[in-house]
Amino acid sequence: MRKAPRLRLIRPLAAFVWFALAAFPVSADDADTPSDATWNAIRPAIFGDSAIDEDPVLTLAAPKRAEDAALVPIDIHFALAPDDRRTIRSVTLVIDENPAPKAASFTFGEIGRTFTLSTRVRVNSYSYVRAIAETSDGKLHMTKAFVKAAGGCSAPAAKDPAEAKANLGQMRFRVFASSGKNEAQVQMRHPNYSGLQMDQITHLYTPAWFIRSFAVSQGDKLLFSMEGGISVSEDPTFRFTYAPSEQPVTVSAEDTQDQTFKRSFPADGGS
Amino acid sequence: MRRRACLALLLSGFFGLWSLPLAAQAPEEPAAYRTDNYKAPTPKTLRGAEVVTTAEAYEIWRKKGAVFIDVLAHTPRPAGLPADTMWRDPPHNTIAQAHWLPEVGRGELAAEIETYLKDSLSALTQNDKNTPLLFFCRRECWMSWNAAKRVLSYGYTRIYWYPDGVEGWGEAGFPMEVTQPRP
Repeated sequence: MRKAPRLRLIRPLAAFVWFALAAFPVSADDADTPSDATWNAIRPAIFGDSAIDEDPVLTLAAPKRAEDAALVPIDIHFALAPDDRRTIRSVTLVIDENPAPKAASFTFGEIGRTFTLSTRVRVNSYSYVRAIAETSDGKLHMTKAFVKAAGGCSAPAAKDPAEAKANLGQMRFRVFASSGKNEAQVQMRHPNYSGLQMDQITHLYTPAWFIRSFAVSQGDKLLFSMEGGISVSEDPTFRFTYAPSEQPVTVSAEDTQDQTFKRSFPADGGS
Repeated sequence: MRRRACLALLLSGFFGLWSLPLAAQAPEEPAAYRTDNYKAPTPKTLRGAEVVTTAEAYEIWRKKGAVFIDVLAHTPRPAGLPADTMWRDPPHNTIAQAHWLPEVGRGELAAEIETYLKDSLSALTQNDKNTPLLFFCRRECWMSWNAAKRVLSYGYTRIYWYPDGVEGWGEAGFPMEVTQPRP
């Protein structure tokens, strides 16, 4: 006796759910769900036919859902086992669904066995973000994270063109040793135009203009260098493992208009 | 009785949750063009245009009753990008025989884009403003709404707007083909 009214309610409910699902189906090519299809298509152009394993020599941390698609924080961390005699040569950052998927590649100096590098990137649509490390034995190792973010490459610049030009190339170096972390941060003012950002006045795309190469050295030793692309966020920022020594830190950069920037900082960040 | 009341409450909560986003699915038709956040629920109407379903769009297509115009944005390889930069430009699959006029569905158009739109329409209609035109892009994409509205303002008299776009067409299994932007 009691079941009848319940059924009467459940049937329309089921019909309603069916309607709701049928009326708003999720399109297959929306790529809302993780897929390796794009990766499989672009991988040969970046890595040829080299094998890539998923050996956990490195990890990548990224938000599952980004607050700002133009500023998605990415942390790459690698730690080789104490008995591992290899070193990390380079890490390539790939954002599958971005129009220029190869976001950046980093080369490392003699930096020891553990290293953390954080930066911020643009993510144009829901995408895997991948870090592929090359160890000194020539082998490739990959880790990946799926990030839900959209419109990062076309989002208008945070700073207007005049402000960006006025501050172009300014750099800042901070050391976080006082907070108990062996880390430092380099920040550089550059609009890093992606070429996909629409000028708010002309309604035309602003041409791409970004940091092509970037290097941080301690004395005459390279800590890391980067070959960058349009996916690196406005005002490129890098936070990395750093142990102060007597040596000053030198940051040098070159953009796609062949402008060069260079500045040295005291080892402790100074002022 | 109490159980039934609980169930009713539960269900009303459930329906309430669903009906809110459903109500948000179709915003009121605005007076002006949409200028950002184009991928969002669209209105049910467009003043001056006839809104068509997938079945209706297919009938029009089958009878060659309109020029089909896809206005989905397309990001060209940017100026200033080094030649060796890998650029991914996935193929665009659209309604067979449709003409792809990218960028014309934005809320504000650069002068050269507007000229491109006007010139393309003149060519596609042989300067006959009574030629039926059907605008679409993707489902929940304001660009087709904007473009249809804009073209009405040019004095074209027979405008269809097909909001379900390539997704609706593709799901129905109607003919599609890979296309390139109209030069």
